[in-house]
Amino acid sequence: MSTTSPDDAIRGELAGLLPRLRRFARVITRNVADADDLVQVAVEKALARATQWRPGSRLDSWMFGIMKNAWIDEVRARRRRERVHAPEEAGFAVGDASAAAREIALSVEAAMTRLPEEQRMAVALVLVEGLSYRDAAESLGVPIGTLTSRLARGREALQALLGDNGSPS
Amino acid sequence: MKFTDEMLMAYADGELEAAARAEIEEAVARDPVLARAVERHRVMAERVRGAYGDVLDEPLPERLAALVEKPEAAPVADLATRRGERTTRTGGWRLPAWAAAAASLAVGFFVGVFVAREPAAPYAESGGDLVARGALDVALTSQLATAGGSHGVHVGISFRDRDGGYCRTFQLQRGASVAGLACRHGEAWKLEVLAAAAHVDGELRTASAIPLPVLQAVDAAIDGEPLDAAAEAAARDAGWRNTRNVAE
Repeated sequence: MSTTSPDDAIRGELAGLLPRLRRFARVITRNVADADDLVQVAVEKALARATQWRPGSRLDSWMFGIMKNAWIDEVRARRRRERVHAPEEAGFAVGDASAAAREIALSVEAAMTRLPEEQRMAVALVLVEGLSYRDAAESLGVPIGTLTSRLARGREALQALLGDNGSPS
Repeated sequence: MKFTDEMLMAYADGELEAAARAEIEEAVARDPVLARAVERHRVMAERVRGAYGDVLDEPLPERLAALVEKPEAAPVADLATRRGERTTRTGGWRLPAWAAAAASLAVGFFVGVFVAREPAAPYAESGGDLVARGALDVALTSQLATAGGSHGVHVGISFRDRDGGYCRTFQLQRGASVAGLACRHGEAWKLEVLAAAAHVDGELRTASAIPLPVLQAVDAAIDGEPLDAAAEAAARDAGWRNTRNVAE
């Protein structure tokens, strides 16, 4: 096929970004298999609309926004199915068993699963992915003040769940 | 000077303008309580970041790496197959356009089966569309989801599509078990999707028996949430007429 298609430009960038996309997905889906499915769906969507991405602008923020929307769609669809049909057998599996035995990390992950979706996304983008407040707000499609207050509430909740004095080690 | 916790957080994250930053810096130097609050934010940021650091070092699953390789390396058909496998396993995730193609293949297949085997087929072709007939037509028009299976038809969820029309999922147990989605067009129920459902010993109301193509068709068509029991009954009593004004 054509070698000048806009998605050629994006593929290389995406390849370098995949580990971070997986990490972000892991935080918001709380589940390894769902996380990789989410990355796959988001990458497919991104490639399908590669022309909407302006080269030179931040690809990570753009991708995080696509992932957020795809995940919200998925959660809604699941909720619908659960309401209408018998519940599926398994619940969410938390974390990656192979990365076991790190007490602090596990407790942070466990605490993260208890945050409301929008706070978890704010925490994921700013604290885990290191985005600026402005970039994170843009990814989520919210004003910066909204991002800031979600982040503050999320941190407050984590603080309450994990204890006040930081790492016990 | 009093600082809100949000300001201290922004300071800890390096998000404040120079003036505000200098102000807090000065206050922190004088006030150990303030200093502790800032430190608490920093420690929390570190802990959260650290908890997910290992993900970056994990080897990439091949299917993800293949996605961003040169297109020749990830032909669409192959990708679609893989997606199909994954989707079946996890019971979630919408499929791209090829799913629709697969669904219409399923229609062709099952029409063949039914027309060949069943003299009183529950569907018939009408103007290029497949429409419900007989017991299926009756069930879709009159049966509420709460009624359970009747005459081999079980109606699942009802909802409005983006044009305001009504659609309902159903399952048939006639030899092979088949599930589908039908939408009201004029005076007929047009079948949008048909797919094989697991055979479940006469028990029709089983989640696993709703095949994926049907769920996906619902996801693609639905506007908002499914109808609740009251709205379903009201829509039936009103003859499933599209009451939304579609003047454009």
